[in-house]
Amino acid sequence: MLSAEHRVSVADLLRRPARTIFTLLTLAIAVASISFFAVPTLIDDAMQDEVREGRLADVAVGIRPLELSDADLAALEDVPGVAAVEPRSSVDARVLIGERRAPARVIGIRDFADQDVDVVRVESGSAPGPGELMADVQDENTGVYDGAAGDDVTLVGAAGEQADFTLSGRGRSLPDGEQVQDEKVVVLYAPAATVAALSGEPGYGGLALRLDDTDPAAARATVERVRRQLETFPGFEGFTNLPEIRAPGDWPGKADTEQFSQLLGVITVLALISAAVLVSNTLSTLVAEQTREIGVMRAVGARRRQVALVYLRTTLLLGAVGAVAGTLLGILMSSALARYFGSTYWAVDVAPGIDPTVVLASLLVGLVAPPLVALPAIRRALSVDLREALEATGSATGGTDALDRALRRTSFLPRVVQIGLRNVGRRKRRSLATAAIVALAVGNLLAVLALAQGATDSTRASWGSHLEDVQITTSNRAPFDDRARLTIVTTPGVAEAEPVLKNTVDLGGREAFVWGVEQDPLLDYRLAEGRWFDAEEDRDGARVAVIERNIAQLAGIEVGDTVDLGTAVGGASFRIIGIATNQQEDGTALYVPLTTTRDLLDRPAAASTYWIRTESRDTDQVDRTTSLLEDRLAAQGYEVSSEIRYVAERDEVAANSTLTTTIAVLGFLIVAMSMVGLANAITTNVLERTREIGILRSIGARARDVRRIFTTEGIVLALLGWLIGIPLGYLLTRLIVRLVWEIVDVRLPVVFPPGNVLVALVGTTVLALLVLVLPVRRAVRFRPGDALRYA
Amino acid sequence: MSEATTQQQAAAETVRSPLIELSGVEKTYRTGKLEYRALRGVDLSIDRGEMVALVGPSGSGKSTVLNIITGIDRPTAGTVTVDGSRLDDLSEEELAVWRGANVGIVFQFFQLLPTLTALENAALPLDFLRRGSKHDRFERARHNLEVVGLGDKLEHLPAELSGGEQQRVAIARSLAADPGLIVGDEPTGNLDSVTADEMFRLLGRLNDEGKTVLFVTHDRDLAARAGRVVEIRDGRVVGG
Repeated sequence: MLSAEHRVSVADLLRRPARTIFTLLTLAIAVASISFFAVPTLIDDAMQDEVREGRLADVAVGIRPLELSDADLAALEDVPGVAAVEPRSSVDARVLIGERRAPARVIGIRDFADQDVDVVRVESGSAPGPGELMADVQDENTGVYDGAAGDDVTLVGAAGEQADFTLSGRGRSLPDGEQVQDEKVVVLYAPAATVAALSGEPGYGGLALRLDDTDPAAARATVERVRRQLETFPGFEGFTNLPEIRAPGDWPGKADTEQFSQLLGVITVLALISAAVLVSNTLSTLVAEQTREIGVMRAVGARRRQVALVYLRTTLLLGAVGAVAGTLLGILMSSALARYFGSTYWAVDVAPGIDPTVVLASLLVGLVAPPLVALPAIRRALSVDLREALEATGSATGGTDALDRALRRTSFLPRVVQIGLRNVGRRKRRSLATAAIVALAVGNLLAVLALAQGATDSTRASWGSHLEDVQITTSNRAPFDDRARLTIVTTPGVAEAEPVLKNTVDLGGREAFVWGVEQDPLLDYRLAEGRWFDAEEDRDGARVAVIERNIAQLAGIEVGDTVDLGTAVGGASFRIIGIATNQQEDGTALYVPLTTTRDLLDRPAAASTYWIRTESRDTDQVDRTTSLLEDRLAAQGYEVSSEIRYVAERDEVAANSTLTTTIAVLGFLIVAMSMVGLANAITTNVLERTREIGILRSIGARARDVRRIFTTEGIVLALLGWLIGIPLGYLLTRLIVRLVWEIVDVRLPVVFPPGNVLVALVGTTVLALLVLVLPVRRAVRFRPGDALRYA
Repeated sequence: MSEATTQQQAAAETVRSPLIELSGVEKTYRTGKLEYRALRGVDLSIDRGEMVALVGPSGSGKSTVLNIITGIDRPTAGTVTVDGSRLDDLSEEELAVWRGANVGIVFQFFQLLPTLTALENAALPLDFLRRGSKHDRFERARHNLEVVGLGDKLEHLPAELSGGEQQRVAIARSLAADPGLIVGDEPTGNLDSVTADEMFRLLGRLNDEGKTVLFVTHDRDLAARAGRVVEIRDGRVVGG
């Protein structure tokens, strides 16, 4: 049997079921937001499973194509420290998708039925045999290629030769699938013999090793032993690159995920701040309502400590239930999020799971936080004069401060709206807290919208600047020369071809890119300040540059300044004559006369890239012209790659969309909390003023009058939140853009369109009206007699 | 029969027929599984222009009778007729509008809206009735506040008024729609004896002006000053 003190703690919760449920909902959502921190762990667990099932290599080494017999492979497996070895071959080609040649990489597998390292698992269809290829699941997932089993596939080699295959199905391999994400290349699997035939080189160009001991020192030692073993094989000419040693626990894309998690952490912190304000507000209100009861307890002999314990117990009870509910909700949320990320980025099915640390933290926070945040309110309630406490009605009186006086100067409004407006000022602390939560949601919404707008603007600015349809780029080892130029300009379908010489430079410790371009380039340059270089400067090879605004702002550069660039051939000074807003190279480009760049690099007539305008903008025509260019240049020995503008633009928009959608999904939680906070505040107001509602109904107020009073309160709080949220959203936008830049190295402009502020206003108002339905309905449901007797 | 005679007969009937008629009224409150019979068959008639005090011990049902008469509570059984309207037939919305137009209620704890000034509180029933222009409502409220002696405190908030002054504002509010019936549940219960006396004399003046005044009180001395005392005990009318 509970003591009277304990009964008070429990009874109050049962007496006000609506308020209790709201408080529990608030606590549960707050606790659930902690679960975001579990998402990286859940993803990592799923990826570790992938690593195990796929027998991911611990070391990958590149070698010049080397024929390896079964005995050779067995000898490599016998090397101490080697658990398994799998030879790999690959050839870069293009795959015909309609008229377009998309970059592709065909990976040769020695024996699909017997793989020990970097296993390529068949997901649908069957493993490819002779004349067959198998796509990777990431090809469709990322949108680069959606071929299905049974489809015809045409590969185009470096010299333009074509080979036809049939798609046998789809497979999955973690390291190979990552290439699709990173390089936007179509990954296809084939028997090793097919790859050898395509590349014209028998043998394997790589080895994937699993080791007994993945400790870095042991791994390096094992790799050394493998190298010595390879040296005994005829034809081995050494590794072509530094062996890639996978750290224990690492997996392809993990570094990017961790970076992204940092960004998500910012949103999670915002969610936690919202949660803290919400919980604090809710519990403070709960205690404040008990002022009279606290007075009664003190009047009958309870000491302050005893009274405090009653309410601490109440909040502890709430916290316990809220913690459990929130933890369960958090497990569901984190599982859903992890599943979403897993399928979006790695085509991996992330099973529901729990992170014990996060679960423990959730339970602890849920249990401990409510009593802690309620303490100030309990102290305040205990400090009220006893007589005042006994006379308290639970409903705040009107104030006479400046705000209250201002709220009374609203006689032009209908009376019920005036009452609602003035009621907002009765509990200033609570109203401000509710508005703050709404402000956080509005700020977050504005930041997400700004981020999306910035990404779109950046893409549009970047790609809108391009007047060319295709870029053909050669490797630095063999830049384009006059012969290449002639080939290009005489290719059918080419309307105009413009040479560009690009180079990476150092600008005050930051990486930047010099584009040597013509005075009237195939670039729609947009100047924020200054001017473009003129024909004379172009002719004379003047050391002038137009700099992108992003890097100019970062480096504090203005028009008229002289900047020192570190180039491959030494330092060079340039005078800045203009600032552009084309967002090229993520806003780190400097445009310099082509002549100047050629002089600087001592490469007369050279070009690293040609910008080509095709005779037709029809995508099939563009694809055909590009294919022709590649074939003709490859036939002359140039190593080229092409970038088709409409494809690259589409891919960038899709990537940006994923980033902003992900952030928006998390931001939704903050919006949900703000709406719970708003509904909670109005419900509490209704409960507090139940007797007042009875009075109003007694003196003639209709249901719609009562509805309008509380709806006004709710809308005013929401609008106040919207107002505060505008500057908050601007600050958040700047913060997130900065973080995106620093963490994921994507440079977005800071945009804050006024239209988004209106969108936020409409959204806030509509949501507020929706969440107010239930509390307001409750307000008018009371019969006057019941309302007057409400205790 | 001449028209004048018809009118005289109608007036006489109006005067003769009671303003308030309760017949066999019962009220049972239910809280969970608990039931409490507050009224056990009340028959009561109150004529126009009467000043009636409802007395009885705590829990006798006197406040319940008042609530039933004003439509704040609904009877579990029986009929309630006030000024020709069967209250038990009206919906909650109809009751709210009817109350605003026909009854002025004065509560024990004043129950003014804390964010409205004295003038605004006094005009509130007219705002809900949407009767007259804003100017007309404020003029009526101003007049009523002057009647109760608060013409110089129109812009004061309730928190800036004494208990007695707040009760005066409450009385002024009850007069907003010029109702024929004024009811008060312990209207002087929260006032000192001097102020209570002033309030009661104010109610008396309103009664003299033709309003029917009905109030609940514990104070037998105050009750004795009413024109009629109705005693309620254990949910029944036992006297008056």
